[in-house]
Amino acid sequence: MDCQCCNKKPARIRICDVDENAIQEQYNVCPDCFALVKRYMFDMARPLMATDDVIREVQSLLGPADKALVLPETAGAITPLVDSVPACPECGMTLSEFKARGRFGCPRDYEVFAEHLDPLFERIHDTQPARHQGRLPAREGESELVTRRRKSAELKARLDAAVAEENYELAARLRDEINQQEGTTQEQA
Amino acid sequence: MSESAFENFPHLLGEWLKGGGPDSDIVVSTRVRFARNIKGYPFTLKATEQQRAEVLALCEEAIQKIHLQRSVVTLELDKMAEVKRDVLVERHLISRELAGGEGPRGVTFGRGEMLSIMINEEDHLRLQWIKSGFDADRAYQALCKVDRALEKVVPYAVSDNYGYLTACPTNVGTGMRISVMVHLPALTMKDHVDKVFKAAKRMNHAVRGLYGEGTRAFGDMYQISNQATLGRSEESILESVKAIVPRILETERQMRGQLYAEDRSFLEDRVLRSLALLRNARRLNVQEMMSHLSMLRLGVDLGLITDVPMQTVNEMFILGQPSHLQEREGRLMNATERDTTRADLVRSKLAAHSN
Repeated sequence: MDCQCCNKKPARIRICDVDENAIQEQYNVCPDCFALVKRYMFDMARPLMATDDVIREVQSLLGPADKALVLPETAGAITPLVDSVPACPECGMTLSEFKARGRFGCPRDYEVFAEHLDPLFERIHDTQPARHQGRLPAREGESELVTRRRKSAELKARLDAAVAEENYELAARLRDEINQQEGTTQEQA
Repeated sequence: MSESAFENFPHLLGEWLKGGGPDSDIVVSTRVRFARNIKGYPFTLKATEQQRAEVLALCEEAIQKIHLQRSVVTLELDKMAEVKRDVLVERHLISRELAGGEGPRGVTFGRGEMLSIMINEEDHLRLQWIKSGFDADRAYQALCKVDRALEKVVPYAVSDNYGYLTACPTNVGTGMRISVMVHLPALTMKDHVDKVFKAAKRMNHAVRGLYGEGTRAFGDMYQISNQATLGRSEESILESVKAIVPRILETERQMRGQLYAEDRSFLEDRVLRSLALLRNARRLNVQEMMSHLSMLRLGVDLGLITDVPMQTVNEMFILGQPSHLQEREGRLMNATERDTTRADLVRSKLAAHSN
């Protein structure tokens, strides 16, 4: 089957529009077009777009002769999705529902879907590793220490960056901050 | 707040509209927001009516316990008329999502309207603090005090790896979003706005319209905010906003200076025509009002208009919004009636300063 987007290359990827655990529409595209589609679909800075709008946008980037008529042949055909992880025991959220809605159902989902989260978080927050660096509620004494440990690590990274940029004023400030931090951590320990 | 207390509400305006604070020639306000959830409950999306009611009660009780210094107003939104909820949206006290949501939900805000706490939005708690002008540090510090008091009386949902757990993956970590509302008429006139925004996006910051996601930038008003909330500390988010916003302000000031130096009569013409139109129009739609208010604001800042205070300009931006007009008049109006009432409001506000 040819790509429904450019009508030239063979389609290798199927994009499914999912609603309430059922596939509503499918689009078959080639890897090159999918690379463009991805930019529209996974860019959190853009408002959410319907898949057929995304395909139209991508087509507008192609030459006029390349455009295929996008008419999903499978519309109406209902295929149940199979999830690779079980649903959350607390709120019932499934991985496919999470992917479709872009929202978690409860704090437990963060554990249930853990293996799928890091790549997502790394992309959204442009960070690696996707680990919390900020503060945590003070009343969990243990967490306070964790926060402080992370904070020192982050300060050190910023110190290295400041030295690399030859911003010695900032570097000196950061060094003082690190010394102070480590002093408190040792006292606590 | 009782229904009767609400009657005065659309006439009184929040402190952040005063038009003061650092860089207030361009920056209208700085808002810091924390997203928080209560341990042991599903997020609002998956919460039953009963659970939402419990979360609402828990949060209201917690807010009472922390004795906020200023007197606060607490509203249960599911018991309010739609137009009153929209007034709160126009005031930036609640989000569109909360106004249009379902089930038990509420908001608590201070009389000065700097602090607002939304309950049962997408997250159980959305705390926000607004300051006039570009004042991210003080807004952050003020909000931290509230957050730290609350964390002692309600257990937040947190994890060591991911920090504050939120319904949307874009808020996880610090749960912190800083939004700076800026007025960029010169950049818009010179067609440089897109360039600036692309640069902001490259540095991981988003630019939106006046009323948040998906809204258009009426009146040359834009909101600049940090995108990433995970993998950096609150301090480094503050630092990055404080690094990016001044660059945008600098460009806007340069463009204003250029326009003024190169084509002064063009600028004066635009500003004074807008003032004349606002002083004389008998019907004004909201978009028209905002685009002329934008020119007026620019004129006040450049000293081309000296008899209209900035606060009056800022007030008209809010009081001229559809729900504020209807709440003031005490009835629902169709578009034509609103346009007439809006023109009346603007004329009377400007007449008070015509000497």
